[in-house]
Amino acid sequence: MKINDYAQNLAARVGAIQIVAFVLLALLGVRLYYLQIVKGDYYSERAENQRIRLIPIPAPRGAIFDRNGKILVDSRPTYNVVLSNEPIKKIDVTDRIDDYARGLGLDHQFVIDRLALIKKQNEFETMVLKENATMQDITWVESHTLEYPELRVELQPQRFYPLGMVLAHVLGYVGEISPNQLESAEYKDKGFRPGDVIGKGGLEQYYDEYLRGKPGYRKVIVDSRGRVQSEIETVQPQPGQDLVTTIDLDLQMTAEQQLNSSSTNRGTIISMDPNNGEIFAMASHPSFDPNVFVQGSTTSEGRKQIAAYWQDEKRPLYNRAIQGRYPPGSTWKIPMSIGALQQGTITVANSHMLCGGGITIGNKFTRCMGSHGSPPLDFAITKSCDGYYYHLGLKMGIEGMIKTIEEFGYDKRSGIDLPNEKVPQTPKTWMPYILKHEGKWSDIRTVYASVGQDTVVVTPISMLRVISSVGVHGKMYIPHFLKEFRPIRSVGEEGDPSFIPSRPGFGFVNADPTVINMTPEQNALVLKGMWGVVNNGGTAGSIKMPNLEIAGKTGTAQVAELGKDTGANKDHAWFDSFAPADKPEISVLVLIENSGFGSANAAPAAKAMYETYLAKKASPAPDNHDVARKYSMKISE
Amino acid sequence: MVAIIEKRDLRDFDWLTTVLAVAIASFGVWQIHNALPTENYWSKQIIGLIIAFVAFLVVAFSDYRRIIDAAPVFYVIGLVLLLLVITPLGVEVNGQKAWLKLPVIGQFQPSEFVKIPTVLMLAKYFGAKKSGTLTLREILIGGAIFAGPIVLIMLEPDAGQAITYFPILAAIFFLSGIKVRYVVIALVAVAIMVPTAYFVGVRTGKIKRYQQERILAIIDPDQVDPRGYGYHTIQSTITVGKGGLSGIKGDPETSQSVLKFLPEPHTDFIFAVTAENTGFIGCVSLLLAYALLLSRLISGAREASDRAGMLVIMSIVCGMVFQIFLNIGMAQGFLPVIGVPLPLMSAGLSAILSTFIAIGFVVSIKMRRFVN
Repeated sequence: MKINDYAQNLAARVGAIQIVAFVLLALLGVRLYYLQIVKGDYYSERAENQRIRLIPIPAPRGAIFDRNGKILVDSRPTYNVVLSNEPIKKIDVTDRIDDYARGLGLDHQFVIDRLALIKKQNEFETMVLKENATMQDITWVESHTLEYPELRVELQPQRFYPLGMVLAHVLGYVGEISPNQLESAEYKDKGFRPGDVIGKGGLEQYYDEYLRGKPGYRKVIVDSRGRVQSEIETVQPQPGQDLVTTIDLDLQMTAEQQLNSSSTNRGTIISMDPNNGEIFAMASHPSFDPNVFVQGSTTSEGRKQIAAYWQDEKRPLYNRAIQGRYPPGSTWKIPMSIGALQQGTITVANSHMLCGGGITIGNKFTRCMGSHGSPPLDFAITKSCDGYYYHLGLKMGIEGMIKTIEEFGYDKRSGIDLPNEKVPQTPKTWMPYILKHEGKWSDIRTVYASVGQDTVVVTPISMLRVISSVGVHGKMYIPHFLKEFRPIRSVGEEGDPSFIPSRPGFGFVNADPTVINMTPEQNALVLKGMWGVVNNGGTAGSIKMPNLEIAGKTGTAQVAELGKDTGANKDHAWFDSFAPADKPEISVLVLIENSGFGSANAAPAAKAMYETYLAKKASPAPDNHDVARKYSMKISE
Repeated sequence: MVAIIEKRDLRDFDWLTTVLAVAIASFGVWQIHNALPTENYWSKQIIGLIIAFVAFLVVAFSDYRRIIDAAPVFYVIGLVLLLLVITPLGVEVNGQKAWLKLPVIGQFQPSEFVKIPTVLMLAKYFGAKKSGTLTLREILIGGAIFAGPIVLIMLEPDAGQAITYFPILAAIFFLSGIKVRYVVIALVAVAIMVPTAYFVGVRTGKIKRYQQERILAIIDPDQVDPRGYGYHTIQSTITVGKGGLSGIKGDPETSQSVLKFLPEPHTDFIFAVTAENTGFIGCVSLLLAYALLLSRLISGAREASDRAGMLVIMSIVCGMVFQIFLNIGMAQGFLPVIGVPLPLMSAGLSAILSTFIAIGFVVSIKMRRFVN
């Protein structure tokens, strides 16, 4: 071999180079073994994660109808600008905050919050950056796809409340689940994720699980820029169930109008079917526009409006019908009367009790509005004689009154199908507190309590429930809005992992009513007094109607001491009623805050409700009663 | 020239080396197709392969000794081409002027070809050497020959390409009897100087940000600028790893290159594409093919009839080994991202042509091993 001719150990040197070459190649082979054989599955998964993306297909939320099929809440298509979290893991988006805020007209801080939130998400999910994108927004996103591949425009059905402020407290609104809610066990266990839209307040919240649909998704392959290359599978969403409520939109509109035209614009009107607890109308004023919460939460203007709602002293977000607690004033005399009859404090045969123009406790004289001698019960109700009840209350004693409170369920919620109902406060709740601080329950408190003042503050819904029971032999039903949830068919093939079973329809299951024990004679006596309030020269004689006999009770609840009861401290005006008196079909409660006498300020609004009711009875066919059916066919296709 | 091929030439022609080189290049064409099936890089590469093969035959059947005699001419032509690159005739891509666009010939990368005249020039000078260890004078002259193209390539600037020249000089010095103790000193010096130079360079700002990132990306690709070189390293490692045992066999649905996750899949990262499509089996076969080809070349060097021929072959071998290691190491995510083509595999006419010409020399030298 010729190399051996050379004296520089060349054969060894060439051999050394050969060995180094083979060692380097072997090194590559070892690394290859590690990457492909040892970690092959890991890298396969990483590759799959970056090319497969789930694009959610939102499920339409169930619509809400009134009892005649009129649409109360609906969803309409809108476009959202969404931020996809996959590309932004690769880039630093903090320097794009200004661009996003300027391009989409967003609040600077809002963009920062969103970016913080998206970091908590799983891979390949999206976060809404702007709802209700305008044509300009969409154009902006489309023309910047190369610069900002993380932005995308998605079609999203958005909740729409066509009635605006009407019925707002009952319907509630929807919004993105809050970080606090996500942390709470109630939501965490159900697998909610950031960005999910849930019902907030009202029926939207109470029946969220039925109204909510199950979202579908598109599983797609994307390239490195996030552009969809092909689709692997599509799982269709299942819409939520449609809710038919017991609301009668015509009665509701009347209630809203009456509150609008009331002197203080603050108060509540509730109308119910006393025979089963179905709510026809529930209005609370001042009100709010749920659309502001749905559409405005991403704009600085909208957020300002929402903050204004929260800060408003008049508390527009609060449902006075179930969350307001007011002294019931003279309307309290109805449960007092029945309680006294039950306990034998008075009897049907002898229900006389001294009025005396008032009562003296210690050295303090508490007066009646008139001087009624020693009237029977029905007269005391009709004329709203305070003196009668001062004496009756003392005779019953505070223990007797507490028994009545328990009998009529004033120590509990009514059970209405709305969230956040308040429990009334009564002598029962106050007793331990008063005993602790004052040593004893004084007679003057009993006197005040017997006419629904001082230690008695009740929710309007609890009051309506009790008053209505007088018309239906003492039966107290659970007030409710649910008439029916419509069924939804299944999605996909049975056995598929993505199969969503059908959801059956269902109605409200009315539990046996709580029955107030009273004899027909006792019932008739109280009813007679209530009938007289409107029809026999009573406190609400001014609303007597020729074709409908209303039974009711006025109330004028003191907010401040006599003499200071003017302006903002004027009395709350109550009128609780049902009609026809002998066989009621509808009950109506009106409460106008700080407006003065119940007879003058509350009773006329109730009359308007009854007039609407009568007008509807005269022409029973609702003008578009089959809209609901058509609509439900449309969305279930 | 074909007419003057003698019977003896055909008998001594190195068929196995030729077949191996063509087989690897054909395998490369398939991988270029896998990388981007909808583009025409693979068909261009076939044309490139045909041109390269013709050039290979011309060189193989030429007498290498006459070519080595003419080495200074080729060397000067090479330097002129490199000079032209940095004139306005050069084509600028990504801030680098590595390409030359000439009428008729078209666009090519002179730094790929100038390796050959550089090897020939060095072989001519050191081939004339008699026995004995390397003198300082010889080292300086060798360094000067080498410095010519290197300086011009660094002016482009194309540090990646310049790096591939160093193994040539190392092979020449090593095989010209440089003392082993100098080799050891050089290795130790490199081991100390490289990190030191890096830190000094970073401190003084001589090493640019993007160059630092290439280095840091190796240490922790997920942390250092995952958009830039870190991204290349991450994606290439994923692509190699996901190939598993037998690869995806060209399925475009899941292909990292078709979905554009893998950058430069047909050139710098062709090995990642190979790994993804043919898996461990395909890649190990490729590595074995390279090992076999290199063995054939080295055996040619052992049998070479003169010192110059041996030096030419071993320079080519060292250059190839270095490029293979650099390129595959980069694709496997443990070496910095440097744009070095994988010999015989990466798409590109310049690269495949220069590699085949180099192998043509080896075949020519082997064919004339009994002549003297």
